[in-house]
Amino acid sequence: MAVMQMYRTAGRTALWAALAAATLLTSGCAGWVRDNLTQSATPWRRIQPAALPVTLPDSRDFPIVAARMRDTGTVYKTYNVALGNPTSLAGENRLTVDVQTLPDSLFGALVQPPRVFPVPLYTMETLTVTTRREFPDMKVKVADGARRNRYGDYDYATAQDAVNSCVLAWQLITDHKRMLPERIEAVRLEYRVCGVGSDIRALLAPFDGLTLTLPETILEAQDLGGL
Amino acid sequence: MTRPVLLSALLLAGIAATATGGGSAAWAQSNGGARALAPGVKVEVAPAPGSGSAPAAGKVDETALRYYARIGDGERMEAEIARLRALDPGWEPPKDLFAPQPTATGVDETPFWTLMSAGKVAEARAAIAEQRRKSPSWQPSDKLLQELELAESAGRIRSASDTKRWQEVVDAAAAQPEAVACNRLDNAWRLAEAYAELKQTDRAFDTYKTIVTTCPKAKERRDTIFKASRHLSPERLRELSALGATANPATGEDYSAVRSAEAELETGRLLERLGNAKPGALSAADLSRVQGIVRDKQDADGAIALGWYFQKQKNFAEAQSWFTQANEWAPSDKAAEGLVLAYNGLGNKAQARAAAAPWKGKSSRIDQALKAVDPPRGPSGPGGGRTAPQGPSELDRALARHDFAECLSIIRGTIARSGPTAALLQQRGWCLLELKRPSEAEAAFAEAQTLAAREPAKGGASAPGKAGSRGPAASGLPQTATPAQENAYGQAIARLATGDVTGLTRDLPRANLTATQRAEIRASLMATEAGRALEDKRYNDVLRLLDARKELEPEPRNLGIVRGWALYNLMRFDEAYVQFKSIDDRLSTEESREGVSTAWKTIYHDW
Repeated sequence: MAVMQMYRTAGRTALWAALAAATLLTSGCAGWVRDNLTQSATPWRRIQPAALPVTLPDSRDFPIVAARMRDTGTVYKTYNVALGNPTSLAGENRLTVDVQTLPDSLFGALVQPPRVFPVPLYTMETLTVTTRREFPDMKVKVADGARRNRYGDYDYATAQDAVNSCVLAWQLITDHKRMLPERIEAVRLEYRVCGVGSDIRALLAPFDGLTLTLPETILEAQDLGGL
Repeated sequence: MTRPVLLSALLLAGIAATATGGGSAAWAQSNGGARALAPGVKVEVAPAPGSGSAPAAGKVDETALRYYARIGDGERMEAEIARLRALDPGWEPPKDLFAPQPTATGVDETPFWTLMSAGKVAEARAAIAEQRRKSPSWQPSDKLLQELELAESAGRIRSASDTKRWQEVVDAAAAQPEAVACNRLDNAWRLAEAYAELKQTDRAFDTYKTIVTTCPKAKERRDTIFKASRHLSPERLRELSALGATANPATGEDYSAVRSAEAELETGRLLERLGNAKPGALSAADLSRVQGIVRDKQDADGAIALGWYFQKQKNFAEAQSWFTQANEWAPSDKAAEGLVLAYNGLGNKAQARAAAAPWKGKSSRIDQALKAVDPPRGPSGPGGGRTAPQGPSELDRALARHDFAECLSIIRGTIARSGPTAALLQQRGWCLLELKRPSEAEAAFAEAQTLAAREPAKGGASAPGKAGSRGPAASGLPQTATPAQENAYGQAIARLATGDVTGLTRDLPRANLTATQRAEIRASLMATEAGRALEDKRYNDVLRLLDARKELEPEPRNLGIVRGWALYNLMRFDEAYVQFKSIDDRLSTEESREGVSTAWKTIYHDW
């Protein structure tokens, strides 16, 4: 009651006006609908390989077949690069790049879409599920030690059968001191490739040699101690 | 629609359990009957409104009974009468039950009960506060306050569970054990799920176990086992089913459905294994068991799964028998596809073509299967196109086995030996699609298209379906796709698989497709869009898209489930329930059961 009495004069008129407007808006009379689209992923759209924020070394076995991207809210951009697959195995060879930027408005900071990738990127449980899905009927091994590319350490798992080998590599770049520009919060890379033979290094070569080419420069990790 | 009344049924069943099952007495007692659902959490059968604490002998609390009489809820009234009789065998319902009764304090609590029954707990609290302001001497009944607290606790459990704050679910249940009871079964399920999510599997199991051994309704015990199947191992589910089927039986309840729940889950697991199994991977006992179940239930999908299992083993005769069976139980292009390939495997091409006939030109599945029977390539020339029937080639046999990796190898070898043809590249596209490599498939179809343009025209230049035409069902005209149309169709399917919905929608009107193909792609696009609309919470859009899609093709069950959730989220609960129920009645799955259960509980405020 005390609250209501505060609005007895001019403020009361304003309150009723606001209420009426709110009622109109929420009832759909003013064409208002809930805006969920800003927080959910857009459909994939095709882009030219040249528009990708990543450059891969030329590869006869793993050429770029297609490139596509989508946004999730205003902070995530996901790029998917389908690569050639010289094997007869199921599943696309691909490189996925997720770029997480910082919101550029207070509202954006308050209302953020859910993360498009988990952190940590994998647990043993989720890795087992993923490798089983990606490489069914193959012998999977998680590499004991990390490897390094231009952007620091990454982890990977290998899968093999009598004829083919596959790798799944994943990397999270969050070094703001040196590598990432101010407005990029994180970059997640995931690379899945199968090839004929058993040369794991050859399969990882494109991932080892990739260069990120975002509008703001991402510096390479240096002082990698023996890379 | 007639609405079953859960509360009264539960109360009656609870009384029956008290009367018959000594072991369940602790759960079913209305007083002092607290029982641990899990360490730190106790549950009780929540008494009906108005029951309050134990009445003195010869004096029972008739508040709730009179409330039910006043609102005309006959079933709840009967249940309350039964409950009060159980409390005091000498008690008889008052003769003036339907006469207006002034309350002792002159305040009628009906509006508060009504608000609470409608799930408007905060509003009920506000109304009580307002009433107390008007009548300072009035005190709401203990029962009303108790029910409000319970409803608020249930709300806390639900909210924490919905947002996956599992520890809060456990804490909320511990703080108000009465909120986790047989007549608030959903809360008990949520508690068990919280334990499971917190990796406290033993406690989750204990919670489920308490439910199936103490809640008397067979349906609820059965639903509990289905719920538990997400979190427990098959061994523990077996134990749960055995307990649920035997422990503390209530009079009039048939627990055979509880025992069969585990068998149904097992069948589902076996069928799933069947789909992924390598030849011979299933033991003879498992195989025989699943065959028996599929026959008993006349389960066409199960028969198709069995057909593919044998087809992969190249046991074409057995495969043909199961596909035939499936086609008899429920004719479908899926069953016919298997049948075509099984006959082809047996070398019986005439039968294969006969099996395909009803679907030819109407189902891309069948058109593809026919390529194994009459391959689109042959010795007559490099241009591909349909040729006269011939003995099964290496590629035919690979396709008949659904060995798409082998298909790629054979095509790669053939191209290396004698160069590419449009037909070979097109077949490569289809095999890549089957191997879930849509980007390469699209490139293969595009390459086939380019090559076909340079090859002599085959199959005539039939006019593509006009944009906006309503498909063959409307036109009634059979349409045979030209090689160019087949390539365009392959590209469209590949683009769908890569999620390129926007681009495909834009390009579809200009694509060179038959009306059938165009309708199929449009239907798929609308299905994808409907799924996206559901994620975006644009529920009216979901219905709009699904309705439009339904004009092109019958609605499959997965989209039926999507429709159900759209209706549910638009608060059209009765329609949602009918939708889920109609799907569940045809084939009960975890998704359909979840829909039925959620809609039902929402309608009857049975959370």
